[in-house]
Amino acid sequence: MTPMMRSYLKYPFGVAAVLLSTLAQAELAHLDDEVLSGVSGQGGIYLSGDVTINEMGGPIQNSYFGACDEPGKKCGARLAYRLKQDGGWFVLDDIRGSFAFEGLTLRVRHIDSGFGGDGALFNRDVVELGLPNVVRYQDVQFKLAASSTARPTDPGFQQTDLLSIEMQGDVTLEGNLLVFPTGNP
Amino acid sequence: MARITTNFMTSRLARVLPVLCVTLLPGLANAELESLTENELSTVSGAGIGLVLEDFKFAHGTDIDNGQVFKIGGIKSTDGQDVEIVVNQLYIAGAGSNYGETLNPVNLGRLVNPFSIDVVDGNDLGITDKAVLSLAAPTKVAATEGYDCMNTGAVAGSGTCSSRPMTADFAGERPDIGLQMNITVGSNQSSNLNIHAQSAVIDGSYLRLWGDDERNQLAGQFKLNFYSPELSINSCSQDGSTCGSRIRMSDFALELALGNVYQPMFIDVDGAGNFVIEVQAIAKPAAGSIGSDGLRASSDAATWDFYNSYYNNPEFRSNLSIGNFSVGDRDFGSARVEGMLVQYLHIQTQDLAP
Repeated sequence: MTPMMRSYLKYPFGVAAVLLSTLAQAELAHLDDEVLSGVSGQGGIYLSGDVTINEMGGPIQNSYFGACDEPGKKCGARLAYRLKQDGGWFVLDDIRGSFAFEGLTLRVRHIDSGFGGDGALFNRDVVELGLPNVVRYQDVQFKLAASSTARPTDPGFQQTDLLSIEMQGDVTLEGNLLVFPTGNP
Repeated sequence: MARITTNFMTSRLARVLPVLCVTLLPGLANAELESLTENELSTVSGAGIGLVLEDFKFAHGTDIDNGQVFKIGGIKSTDGQDVEIVVNQLYIAGAGSNYGETLNPVNLGRLVNPFSIDVVDGNDLGITDKAVLSLAAPTKVAATEGYDCMNTGAVAGSGTCSSRPMTADFAGERPDIGLQMNITVGSNQSSNLNIHAQSAVIDGSYLRLWGDDERNQLAGQFKLNFYSPELSINSCSQDGSTCGSRIRMSDFALELALGNVYQPMFIDVDGAGNFVIEVQAIAKPAAGSIGSDGLRASSDAATWDFYNSYYNNPEFRSNLSIGNFSVGDRDFGSARVEGMLVQYLHIQTQDLAP
């Protein structure tokens, strides 16, 4: 036994680990894009949801925001964005309400037929978002507004509410949203 | 001797390796990531996202008895009274809906020509060295393969629209869109107004957004194409039992261009919280660069070419055409407004609230 072999024998596990990992590497091969595009997973995701935004009021209470039962205060969420340096702000204000839906599905689907003949030409995979048929709105409301400052508590706050939307009840939303890459990546 | 060395190396490595990894890897990662300048970013053209809605149907309205409410409020009339709009029905559904009576599914966008969200190279659009965010409806196509934008029985090769009309065995890509609403002004009795568009096509519409360096502001270009074989407006009694004459606009085509590569549209909110839309006036030519007779020969050629292309580009112009305008059984013939060029536009909202 050469001194070299002896030294290897002292680390049988190390040798095994090195050998096994080499074997394992031999089993794993790259899949090119074409092969990978033929891989089709099973099933998808089925989602039911109940989303409520600021039903009882926001986390902050001050002279502007507050509990929803105080009529003088706004209690919905506020989203402000600015399109010009040092300019005014577009605001989605007083966002409140809840949405409930059942049966939103998400899966990968291969399309090679239908669509008035487009399916055969397309012949690719898409991500399919199955819309839930009915979305139940409970007191959903929001305002579109333009404001001089981002926060209503900032000095010089002035706001013009452009319009407000209020929705309640069952909204019909049927169909599938298909999402796929376009162009040549 | 050798073994001692190995052991030493191993133990040393075992101690140093994690430290080395932690120190080196972020360094490597940092070396890989570099910020792109706007110029470099403008040449990046990734794959966009295509969106198609299959068998789509949307409907919502107000039906107090069944707990359905859809209201638009917060609007004031010029004399300061509150305006409340109760939306009785808003629908997007398949063609042949009979003014929203029967809602069938429809496809929106084609797999081979979908709605798209993309970041595109501004240089390809005439917006120099900018990355442009583009939200676009299906594009127009060559007349040899497209469909007539109006005709509900159009076949391939009859026009430039990509979306297809409904056929006996296919729902098509042209939806019926309608909005039925009651409008109440202050304490006045509410009036009813219904708008329906049949077999609507918006092919070739887009919204392009980018940042303007000089004004440090979002700039945009908006094109709306809207074609419908019949756009109608009528008014009914509150309960919908009796309706007045229907105003019909047949073969309605709107091609609206707001903003172009030389005159982007700017959207802003001013200091008092008012909404402002602006299309900047085109720059005047430098004194003497256009000859007194207005001809190219007596002018600076580049300047003359610039203005010539600006005034001649049909893409910059808005058109409106109505094939036939009728009220009840009276026809008023066709109307056309063509080649409108928005030279300057400034729209500002004003708060009427006390």
